[in-house]
Amino acid sequence: MARALHWWWGILLAFTLVALSRLVLPLPFITEVLIFSIYTIGCSFLLGRVGFISFGQPAYLAAGAYGTAFYLFYFGSNPYIGVLMGVLSGLAVSGLVGPLFVRLRSDYFALVNLALAVIIFYLMQKVLAGITKGDNGLWFLTNIASTPVLDIASPNGFFVFALIAAVAVWALYKYLDDTLFGACCLATKTNEDKLEFLGYSNYAIRLAAFIIANTTTALAGALYAVYLGFVSPEITSPARAADPVVVTILGGTGTLYGPLVGAVVYTGMKDVISQLIGNWELFIGFLLVFIMLAGEKGIWGTLQPRLARLLFRHRGSAGTTRDERPTR
Amino acid sequence: MDAQLLLSGVIFGLSVGSIYFLMAIGLSLCFGLMRVISLDQLLYYSFGAYVTYSLSLASGSLWLGLLGGVIVAGLISFAVERFVFRRIYERELTFSMITSFGILIGGIGVIKAVWGVVPRPVPVPTLAQVDVLGTGVPVYRLAIVAIAILVYAGIWLFLNRTITGKAIRAGIEDVEHVEGLGINVSRLFTLTFIIAGTLSGLAGALHAPLIMVDPHMGLEVLAFAFMVVIIGGLGSIKGTLVSALIVGQIVSLGSLIYAPLAQMAPFAIMMLILLVKPTGLYGSPLLKK
Repeated sequence: MARALHWWWGILLAFTLVALSRLVLPLPFITEVLIFSIYTIGCSFLLGRVGFISFGQPAYLAAGAYGTAFYLFYFGSNPYIGVLMGVLSGLAVSGLVGPLFVRLRSDYFALVNLALAVIIFYLMQKVLAGITKGDNGLWFLTNIASTPVLDIASPNGFFVFALIAAVAVWALYKYLDDTLFGACCLATKTNEDKLEFLGYSNYAIRLAAFIIANTTTALAGALYAVYLGFVSPEITSPARAADPVVVTILGGTGTLYGPLVGAVVYTGMKDVISQLIGNWELFIGFLLVFIMLAGEKGIWGTLQPRLARLLFRHRGSAGTTRDERPTR
Repeated sequence: MDAQLLLSGVIFGLSVGSIYFLMAIGLSLCFGLMRVISLDQLLYYSFGAYVTYSLSLASGSLWLGLLGGVIVAGLISFAVERFVFRRIYERELTFSMITSFGILIGGIGVIKAVWGVVPRPVPVPTLAQVDVLGTGVPVYRLAIVAIAILVYAGIWLFLNRTITGKAIRAGIEDVEHVEGLGINVSRLFTLTFIIAGTLSGLAGALHAPLIMVDPHMGLEVLAFAFMVVIIGGLGSIKGTLVSALIVGQIVSLGSLIYAPLAQMAPFAIMMLILLVKPTGLYGSPLLKK
């Protein structure tokens, strides 16, 4: 029992903090942070654990968002089924391109993935304009029906739903970290030849990691769609392709809570800075270059060892516990 | 499809392919020699186009603007190499990709701050047409093709007939050996980066009159630049030329058949080629960091 609690307390603590911040911070901000952190954790997992740099995350975000949007716009009104549809379409897209993409060397993978995001942008904006309504986007806010038990059509209900989804996603990734699969992912990043030699298939591990990460991203897209009540090609715009990568690196690549910390800081900065200067791209571009040159550990990656030392000094631990051990 | 339409389609494809070639060669050279993916090449493309726009508006001559655009693109790439890329050659590949994407996004912010967000038209220098087999072909498009051929010839001569060029080719094979021979590799890197940036600027400057300049033009062309490089194989100049011609023709002839095909077909072809050969047409499987 104590062991199970030990396993859980980090996640519970983090998300209790998020839930409590509801009392002081505006609701749209926290909801945005939650969705954004789910969006980012897939990218963080791919970059920090599997060694794939993915500039193509917007492609899978769009797959999830459009999966939900098509269902809610054309077929039904139940937002839960809508989210499910979004996740399934994300699964389908990543399952379709995955077998091809993960065979590639990491440099080709990065280029092809970004190309995919751009192509999906064109696909949604121009080629399929008949069903996606092009740049105008699909508006279905009024189509979303109220649901019993947890009404995610209301902002408060949606916040609770997003919180539950985030806890579930974090529990999944925490679980993956502790399994053999998580160890194999790290191994395929550091030394693929040795892993192959041990009898594991690099291809299968990468494919599974790719599909898991991108389905998570699609979940974020589906949440965005239900939350905003509309979807336009703007969400897969190449200009925003760097967002998840920036947040990943800002938070600390490959750490469990990095995406959450990164999302809080990034969304906060976005709100504050876009009021001060209109030129958001200028800022984010140079911030990215600065973080990279200053030593890519990110906020959580820098904070975590210090926090651990501070908290566990009295217990005589070496500064790390099972929960908070360094991730590499 | 009648022959005249087909012919003008082929010429259009040649000119588009020439521009893709000029742009992709920078990406390819940087990867080949320095083992970095330099996404900021697309920034020099945008800067080349914007400087061309401003100068040709001020002076009335596109050719003067073009020269200015190329020079400014070269200077910016020199500055970026000195201040940023110097520090990241030694790092892994993803590192350079993230950093250069930051430069690209930041540079787009600079363009928005300087020139505004509204797309601007650039006048075509000459509207004259020549008669090729009974079809009127705009001279400007032929001029683009001619310039691309000159650049390819120049690059070929540079890489095969000069000592510096031979050092670059040797560096693509094995940088450490070149360094061991007493050649200043750092200077070689700077030179290659400037050549790449200048050619990207040239591509932007030449492309500007055919499309409108707008802050996101670099991102719009990004997918095509990538496809050219991937189909040809990273680090191969010959592969870049061949795949630029292929992609140019697919874009042009594809749009004659069914307009949205122009954007989708190259992607499908790229997928097919990667399925058969994961390193592109001329990419060497040994190129690995």
